Amino acid sequence: MTRKPIVLATAATVLALAVGASALAGSTRSSVDPGITPTSILLGGTVPLSGVASAYSAVAVGANAYFKYVNAKGGVNGRQIDYKYLDDTYNPAMTVQLTRQLVEQDKVFAIFNTLGTETNLAIRPYLNAAKVPQLFAASGDTSFGSDVATYPQTIGFFPSYQAEGWALGQYMKKNKPKAKIAVIAQNDSYGRDLLVGLKKGLGGGSAKVIAAQNYEVTASDVGSQIAKLKSSGADTLAVFATPQFAIQSYVFANKLGWKPFVLTNVVSSASNIMLLASEGGANKRVLGSVSVVFLKDPTDPKWSKDKAILLYRTILGKYAKGANAKDVYHVYGMAVAYATVNLLKRLGKNPTRAGLIAAVDSMNIRDDPFLLPGIAIKTGPGDHFPLSQMYFQQYAKTGWKQFGSLVNYRG
Amino acid sequence: MANFFQQVVSGLASGGIYGALALALVLIHRATGVINFAQGEMATFSTYILWTLTQNHGWPYWPALAFTLAVSFAGGFGVHQVVVRPVERGSVLRVVIVTIGLLLLLNGAMTWIWSGEVRSVHSPFPTRTIDVGGVAISIQDLGTIGVSIGVVILLGLFFRFTKVGLALRAAATNPAEARLVGVRVPLMLGVGWGLATMLGAIAGALTAPTVFLDPNMMQAVLIYAFAAAVLGGIDSPVGAVVGGLLLGVALNLLGTYIDFVGADLRLPAALAVILAVLLFRPAGLFGQRVVRRV
Amino acid sequence: MRRLAVPVMLFGALAVAIVLAPLFLSDFQAQQAAYVGIYAIALIGLNVLTGYTGQISLGHGAFMAVGGYTTAILMTDHGVKDLWTIPIAAVVAGAAGFLFGLPALRLTGLYLALATFAIAVSTPAVLKKFEGFTGGGSGKNLFGVKELTGGIAPVHVLGWKLNFNNWLYYLCWTMALVLYVVAWLLLRGRTGRAFRAVRDSETAALSSGVSLAKYKTFAFGVSAAYAGIAGSLFAIATTYVNADTFPVQLSIFLLVGVVVSGLGSLTGVIAGAVFIEFLPLWAQDVSKSPGAPGVIYGVILIGVIFLLPTGAAGLLPGLLRRVATLFRGR
Repeated sequence: MTRKPIVLATAATVLALAVGASALAGSTRSSVDPGITPTSILLGGTVPLSGVASAYSAVAVGANAYFKYVNAKGGVNGRQIDYKYLDDTYNPAMTVQLTRQLVEQDKVFAIFNTLGTETNLAIRPYLNAAKVPQLFAASGDTSFGSDVATYPQTIGFFPSYQAEGWALGQYMKKNKPKAKIAVIAQNDSYGRDLLVGLKKGLGGGSAKVIAAQNYEVTASDVGSQIAKLKSSGADTLAVFATPQFAIQSYVFANKLGWKPFVLTNVVSSASNIMLLASEGGANKRVLGSVSVVFLKDPTDPKWSKDKAILLYRTILGKYAKGANAKDVYHVYGMAVAYATVNLLKRLGKNPTRAGLIAAVDSMNIRDDPFLLPGIAIKTGPGDHFPLSQMYFQQYAKTGWKQFGSLVNYRG
Repeated sequence: MANFFQQVVSGLASGGIYGALALALVLIHRATGVINFAQGEMATFSTYILWTLTQNHGWPYWPALAFTLAVSFAGGFGVHQVVVRPVERGSVLRVVIVTIGLLLLLNGAMTWIWSGEVRSVHSPFPTRTIDVGGVAISIQDLGTIGVSIGVVILLGLFFRFTKVGLALRAAATNPAEARLVGVRVPLMLGVGWGLATMLGAIAGALTAPTVFLDPNMMQAVLIYAFAAAVLGGIDSPVGAVVGGLLLGVALNLLGTYIDFVGADLRLPAALAVILAVLLFRPAGLFGQRVVRRV
Repeated sequence: MRRLAVPVMLFGALAVAIVLAPLFLSDFQAQQAAYVGIYAIALIGLNVLTGYTGQISLGHGAFMAVGGYTTAILMTDHGVKDLWTIPIAAVVAGAAGFLFGLPALRLTGLYLALATFAIAVSTPAVLKKFEGFTGGGSGKNLFGVKELTGGIAPVHVLGWKLNFNNWLYYLCWTMALVLYVVAWLLLRGRTGRAFRAVRDSETAALSSGVSLAKYKTFAFGVSAAYAGIAGSLFAIATTYVNADTFPVQLSIFLLVGVVVSGLGSLTGVIAGAVFIEFLPLWAQDVSKSPGAPGVIYGVILIGVIFLLPTGAAGLLPGLLRRVATLFRGR
């Protein structure tokens, strides 16, 4: 008698398993792709809304505001664009779970503008196997543009970190052939790719990287690293760091009485960042710094009367209340949203995922108003590098000054 | 050799900051036997108040700092009365989780209110640098170290010679007897939290000019401050500052001369210090008692 | 044997409910439920340590990382099928926990919390340092690796065809049920009594002949082995590991999950696991402003401590008793 409950439980379990499993088998497919209704298109993605990287969530806020603006004007081919972005705290495990939620539960048409390199790497095989477009991954990792054969559903957006590093290398090779370069780089693929690109750009020239130091994102400051780089005898400092550490690099160089020529990177070169680094004018190390640029900087007086920047301010004020219009990441969000709207328009009355990927393979957008004049968004079959053109700019007392002609590096 | 001394100097500068925050940790631990995981975020929050006053409301630096310290004191007192006091006599686990909850809450609140952008806070000290035999010494860093040491001396005097200080010590070490002699224990513990939060605000104001202000400014510093506090002896204010300075220098030298450590194992190295001290010398360098069970 | 009848019946009912649940869950919800099962395993383990032996760990995410990485490395670099990596992950993590338990003997209360917190904080940096072994920041992707059961293709088990999410669900919950029984057997006997004695008074435990060192380190080892299994399943379910997939926040949430479950009780672990899986999702449903989720986590954490001092386990018997008296009253 005593065994009875166990036997009963086991029997019930087996029975239940049989019923459960048989009921689960089989599902039906409809002819319209997920995320498409007669009145709407659903896009989804993840960004860090909390945690250490939450400053970058502005790319989603900017994009969302632009979509709302487009929706207010009638949407795309009569459909409203809904953009659902979730907080992954910059943790790839969360990105995977939330992306599956977006795909399997919310049934998004495409994953869009997910932020980060590792986060996008984590979901790439899944999205490609499920044939869900991974549109405009917000990462400068080269593989999002080059691995088209393996991952046809995936495409990045901004110029790769290697391209950026290469451009800076080319600049040094041509203009400062005798330079001895010291590098401070974040200890991840972002810092490493910039350094790889820089070395490629220097090519066989006589300008050389003579010292490189890493820092961790979890560090409090880079004082020790800058002191070590100074003692290497370098005359140029390449700052491949995120805003806080980039500012610190300038400040510590100044503190040490080191006066290198400085190369800095796009992530940290917005005017408001440079202004902070200049310590209210006390720090002269910022003057003469060179970086590349492809977005219109909303804090640059040059664009204060520009139509696109005026529109940008209006949209942000109306559809993203409380957002700081000085933050260039919002401009990025609008630039990528503009390209997306352009793509979706091309899909016509009946958008499909396959159609989207076909359109992604043949982009040629020359009028994205949030990008600098002359910069085009271009792709081809096997080439998923939408942005590869940049201008050089040099920092002066009055702000950044663009110079030279367009540079281009696909890779 | 110049690099060696430069690393020492730069380590002392970082160490001064670790020590300043460690002081706040020590004070709270002395007052209430709690390790406050939210100490760093509380300091950052105070720094944001300072930033708002000076940048958005145009206050001059010193009145703004004074006001910030007052608000921090009140804030620390309030936090203790509202969220910590109900749990501090219960299990350790509940206190730990409450302070961690506070950490997450404050971090989120700062991002919410002030966004994640980087901000600058002016230094009360000149940004000039003195050159001593090829080693650059910044006046700002000397100021940081000086303030930390000054605060330790003031604290010592406060605890020894003022009525409030004595009452604080009594409330912390023997609440039951303190109550018998008329000390209002909960009030005193709240004052302890208020003072610690003020010290945190000072640490934040010293940190922000070099590290720059964002909601996560003190997160890494907090870990180093833990290590500094444990190294110096978690109940010793002098130990906190000395521990901070030692740790700052040691980490710089390790990172510079031992390639394996480099910059990437700086944090684990600090944590190894915590483990080693807790295991082999729980009282730390300056602690008087054996670590007590709280 | 008779007094066992009720718990066994209850357990049987639970097992049936778990087996039938996917009928009422969408495909995606089954996946979320699988994560609940994973967290339940980790919470059972942590409860053995914190609830029964009274040792606080703010570092259990690190033991999950050990398990997760064991699985990921074995699958990608050594061609071991995913299921076989689970017991290995348990052994490796258990050994790590046992070794950490030795120094932890000298630490009590807050200091143990601090030390384990230190472990959790330094884990990502250490994982990145040994890049050749762990894949560093880019991590290891298990999706599409042939050692992974399922993926996009359905899984065939005993003649049934399951999709990946349901397969994960059954895998995780089978493990959870088995491990629940193991923990229950362990804790109801002599070992459990010794654990509780250590928690309630070390001095009393010592004087009644309980070896503190033996039981404390054993509890650490068992607890870490559970975390290792949870980590292994987590890697399989997420199909990806890197240095950031086991952050400090995971360790924090696990400890809070134990409090939600109810210390020293296994019945509430599902509530704790649901809490860990869904809190981040609920938080962002409330507000999407940058920073707002953090505020909500914080408020809820503090609220849990204030409002649920005994956890779900304390809540449940009270409710059940009330229901029982209601029925009996009829």
